[in-house]
Amino acid sequence: MKQSMMTKTGKDKLFSLLLAAPAIIMTVIFILVPVVDSVIKSFTEYKIKNIISGKPGTWNNFKNYTKLFQNAKLPQAISNTFIYVLVVVIAVFILGMILALILNSGVKAAKIIQGVMMTPWVIPTVISALIWMWLFQPQYGLVKYLVSVATGGAVNDLAVLNNPKTALMGISIASLWKQVPLMTLLLLAGLQNVPEELFEAATVDGANKVQRFFHITLPSMRSVIAVAVSMSIIENFKQFPLFWTMTGGGPDGATTTLAILSYREAFVSQDLGSGAAVTTVWMLLMIVVTYFFNKAMKREETA
Amino acid sequence: MKRKQTAFTCVRYLLLIIIMVFLLFPIYWMVVTALKTNMEAYLYPPTFLPEEPTTASFKSLLTTNNQFFVYYKNNFIVAGFAALFSTLIALTSGYTLSRFHFKWNKWILAALMSSQMFPVVSRMISLYGLLGKANLINTRTGLILAVVAAQVPFCVMLMSSFYDSIPRELEEAATVDGAKRFATLFRVIIPLVKPGIVAVGIYSFLMTWDDYLHAATLIQTDSLRTLSVGIALRYLGELSYDWSLVNAISVVGALPMVLLFIFFQKYMVKGLVAGAVKG
Repeated sequence: MKQSMMTKTGKDKLFSLLLAAPAIIMTVIFILVPVVDSVIKSFTEYKIKNIISGKPGTWNNFKNYTKLFQNAKLPQAISNTFIYVLVVVIAVFILGMILALILNSGVKAAKIIQGVMMTPWVIPTVISALIWMWLFQPQYGLVKYLVSVATGGAVNDLAVLNNPKTALMGISIASLWKQVPLMTLLLLAGLQNVPEELFEAATVDGANKVQRFFHITLPSMRSVIAVAVSMSIIENFKQFPLFWTMTGGGPDGATTTLAILSYREAFVSQDLGSGAAVTTVWMLLMIVVTYFFNKAMKREETA
Repeated sequence: MKRKQTAFTCVRYLLLIIIMVFLLFPIYWMVVTALKTNMEAYLYPPTFLPEEPTTASFKSLLTTNNQFFVYYKNNFIVAGFAALFSTLIALTSGYTLSRFHFKWNKWILAALMSSQMFPVVSRMISLYGLLGKANLINTRTGLILAVVAAQVPFCVMLMSSFYDSIPRELEEAATVDGAKRFATLFRVIIPLVKPGIVAVGIYSFLMTWDDYLHAATLIQTDSLRTLSVGIALRYLGELSYDWSLVNAISVVGALPMVLLFIFFQKYMVKGLVAGAVKG
């Protein structure tokens, strides 16, 4: 009897490993190994000619890193990335929360609105970029016209994406447009799981709408908020096509984020070692940010 | 009290309208511009309804500027195969994550979670050489493999949340009946997770349809290019004066996704919420 139990666990193990194998193999070969490999490459002189001739890179004494910090490209890309991630994540969360609260409050046709509102989310990113480039177009764009009308003709030469001061904001608006739907959908699911009894008790205690939101709704949605916001942080940290299509990182580096800088270094200047140095710094920053975010969410939970 | 209630309702509907206009107007603007002549698209101030609606841009897309459809076809091929393979992998590996709790499961989960965070460029720097050695650079196979790997982590976790909702007693009953494990999985369990298959398949199709970076780095031949890169390279540089055509391209490029979402909305919404809440 004991013998057969043993083999059952053994068989279980074999069976489960066999089934898990495809995912493990794909993840190891195409994600984990390349990522480790690119970190190693970041410490070497590794250019396109190394790939062609098949020569491995040579150790170059942190030159990729020192060069990036010296010519101020990297610090600018880091600050652009952080400003963009912070602004978009906060704005997406606030707009998504407002829309979710409204849809959950018994407005008419909420189900239909919920379906229609998802459209920007399914529009491919490059096409979203085209849509907003056309809206922001410097000569015939609709936004230029509307702003000119709204300001009574005072501002009539608005070229959002061509001005270093407004370009990052322009891209943020486009990505806000694309991301609000998913955030709303997730928060709405969270709202629908808040236990009804909590509200009734609070209403009896005389709590008003705002108090109920901050003391009951928000705390009981904590896990959904944590997931939705960390997904949004990661997605925005990684955003590439929107920047590449709308501005290519310009004007004057004003929208060069870590994603753009690393691509430019690796595949435009064809210096893969330098690109790898950028992605290594980028990964470190991302790990730090998500670590602190998760820690903050956990502390809230225990408090 | 009553007046306060009415004011609140008004604010609520006002906000709803503002946000919905923000979300939907750009789509309207895309469609309307595509239906204008290029002359009218360049009118300033712009016209909010096309004066003489025309399908000229769509016709030009079909006839003279039809390289678009090569990209379009490639995108269908790549996204279709990517969706197929990611779903198959998610079906088997997701089952393991949901049903077995050996100590290495924690490590598998950690590896899957963390691999969603790594930047695509970082992977590409290395894959470019790796796939080059395997003669897979500039091929659809190479692109599909790289894209599938990027989808696998989320797809597996999404699928395992669907398996979680199926009672274990079913497998136990089947085992008592003497059925083999694989037979149980394929004949009893998998038919029950059809909604999961649809959700994972569509999610993967959508994400691959949207891919830019994998295709931009791994494909150099124009006839193998996929939609995003093809549009950005061909129609943005030389034709950016023809905004009516660009908007027609946008409409046709977005249409399959919108239709897919309309038809499978129920599964998608359930799946995304389940996947996110689990992860």
